[in-house]
Amino acid sequence: MNSNKKFLLMIIGVIVVSIFWIGWVSTNPADEKAMATFVSVEKLMKDNMSQRTKLGGLVKDGSIVVSKTSYLDCTFILKEGNTELAVKYDRTRPDLFKDGAEVIVTGQYLNGIFYADELQTKCASRYEGDLRDENSYNLTDVES
Amino acid sequence: MTPIAGGAALNLAFGFGILTILTIFFYTRNGDQRLYLTGQRLALGVSFFIFLATFILAYQLIISNFDIDYVARYTSLETPVVYKISALWAGQSGSLLFWLFILSIYATVVILQNQRKHHGLMPWVIITLVIVQMFFLVLTNYVTNPFKATEADFIVANGNGLNPLLQNVTMAIHPPTLYLGFVGFTVPFSFGISALVNRDTSPLWIQSIRRWTLVAWLFLSMGIILGGWWAYRELGWGGYWAWDPVENASFMPWLTATAFVHSIIIQEKKDMLRVWNMVLIILTFTLCIFGTFLTRSGVMSSVHSFTASSLGPIFLAFVFFILIASFGLMYTRINDLRSTRRMESFTSRESGFLFNNMVFVVMCFSVFWGTLFPVISEAVRGTKITVGPPFFNQINIPIGLILLGLTGVGPLLAWRRTGKKNLIRNFTFPILTGLSSAIVLLIIGYRDYVVISFSLGAFVTATITTEFIRGIRARNKKFKESPFTALKMMVSKNRSRYGGYVVHLGIVFMFIGFTGHAFDKEKEFSLKEGETEHVAGYEFELIQLSESERPNHYAWISDLRVTKQNGEFVTNLHPEKRVYFHRNPDVNRRQPHSELDIYSTLNKDIYSIFSAVDTENGVAFIKIMVNPLVRWVWIGGFILVFGTLIALWPRRDS
Repeated sequence: MNSNKKFLLMIIGVIVVSIFWIGWVSTNPADEKAMATFVSVEKLMKDNMSQRTKLGGLVKDGSIVVSKTSYLDCTFILKEGNTELAVKYDRTRPDLFKDGAEVIVTGQYLNGIFYADELQTKCASRYEGDLRDENSYNLTDVES
Repeated sequence: MTPIAGGAALNLAFGFGILTILTIFFYTRNGDQRLYLTGQRLALGVSFFIFLATFILAYQLIISNFDIDYVARYTSLETPVVYKISALWAGQSGSLLFWLFILSIYATVVILQNQRKHHGLMPWVIITLVIVQMFFLVLTNYVTNPFKATEADFIVANGNGLNPLLQNVTMAIHPPTLYLGFVGFTVPFSFGISALVNRDTSPLWIQSIRRWTLVAWLFLSMGIILGGWWAYRELGWGGYWAWDPVENASFMPWLTATAFVHSIIIQEKKDMLRVWNMVLIILTFTLCIFGTFLTRSGVMSSVHSFTASSLGPIFLAFVFFILIASFGLMYTRINDLRSTRRMESFTSRESGFLFNNMVFVVMCFSVFWGTLFPVISEAVRGTKITVGPPFFNQINIPIGLILLGLTGVGPLLAWRRTGKKNLIRNFTFPILTGLSSAIVLLIIGYRDYVVISFSLGAFVTATITTEFIRGIRARNKKFKESPFTALKMMVSKNRSRYGGYVVHLGIVFMFIGFTGHAFDKEKEFSLKEGETEHVAGYEFELIQLSESERPNHYAWISDLRVTKQNGEFVTNLHPEKRVYFHRNPDVNRRQPHSELDIYSTLNKDIYSIFSAVDTENGVAFIKIMVNPLVRWVWIGGFILVFGTLIALWPRRDS
């Protein structure tokens, strides 16, 4: 075998091994948190999906309830369109989490409640929102 | 008046661009030198008008002219001047203009530097550069114009203000650095394209872009590291890399560019891998544009993405245009690209480089795959499956470790072929170092990747050390120089080689830091004044919870006293909970922000976040993370920059 063929074989070898490796990890991720299916709240509830899922929606106004015993435990209602779903979350909440915030939660659906272990907020409206005129913005408040 | 001048400057740049392309194109047909000179000047004119537009926008930002939509959206009267300027790249249209601005700096330097050099290559280099400028000019002129007037039926008294997260010195430096990297690859790409058009496939184009490539690579590396540093210090999730689509977007071109930096050495020295180098630079440039597409299109949700915009399809079209045009051109030139030289042996430096290149590209592909996995899975199976960091880590840790190992192996291989005797002589000490550290680590109780990573680090460090010592000894013997003079002379005689080794050492440091991640510990808890909590062998006592009003925010400050379990004092941490725009009557416009505090040592970081405050009961909610070895990543970054500078430093004789 001449050296050219040897190198060709090596290259093909590397490609085959890599494709196998990437394919293998894609189908058998070691960590259950490696992947999540993005679904609509409606579909999640209809199909009673039990695998790890990601949902997007708005926090229903006035629905955030923080546990009396542990400040970290909280429940709220996630609204997507007209569908509503109770979400439980027990970790540090992002700064922008509040009524009406657009959030993405990741976790598992069990018996009508979504147990989230990740909660991301979007702050799209805050900095690209409406501009203020003099009346809605008190200039005397502005310091330096 | 001035805003109109800004828009006009962009229009003129666009017009000059068309003229440049036409003039130089006709020059390549009929060879009239006057046309070339005109074209050169027109090309400089394009850049001039882009500079002008950028300065006008910067000036308008500084004087807070809220008649311009962009100024009103991203700054306010309260914004400090530094951040008014940095607002230039905080928003969409501004950042596109800023991209153009950097490209124009590069283009100007390239044109001025090569006025009398590379006459064969330059015409098409200029055409390619201007075509890229034109693309961004189309965007800033017609799609998202930074000089657009404010659409409001009242007089805008004050702007929206810059996001407090972006009001940070790193954040003022990180985007420009990254851009300097991204945009910088346009130059080697243009030379590559020009070499193809001219069928001039000798190593000439490679020689003329070596330094450019290193500069772009340096900035890209710095941009990525600074981004991680900013995320670590500001975002408060305790890490510096999240495999976020936009992080990946900057990492992918870095991978192919790193491969390119290595493989051009082979073309320079051996005139091999011509096709491969062309493929790499085309891929790198395309990935830079693709990265901008990912950032700007809103296809991926990410901390970096702006609100959904119409830019996506245009960017994607440009990406396909580059790919089709470049690879099409390459296909027609394939016979010119064939190299006469062949690889001779597996145990040669050429083969080491080739292998390292393939692994880099594989890693790039795996990141690409993971980044686009949601899109791919939606297209194939109809469900959108998102992948998280564990997925990327699982795939890339082994690949990264292979690369780390190759970092050590490569330099020990000789060109063409390494004889058995040399192999044994070169590898004995490093391999013994690696193996013995592995054994020690196993005895201490470390397992798995941690052992592999640390012992590979030891192996690579050993090879670098041997290389330096061997070189110094040789000079010491030959010229009777003192070790220090020998080191100085040796490095200055072969800057790229020894600079490269220093970069490798930086990479080793970074890997040690990455490995520390395996031992991260975290805990969330609540504390009242005087209460104590334990985390990972430390005690955290809340001494005091205070509050204070500052010019643009209100802050609650927790004073945490950190001691070791045996009572030994470690440090005081003061994480803060802030509310920006706290005077704003509209509650929704007030923005909470957690300002964290980090105690950092070589050994570990103690990372504290004040996540929330219960003012009625005086309770602070604190999250503590203990992250070992993080500092090594930043030190590795400094070493990497230092090494690259050594490689870049001009030789005395030239």
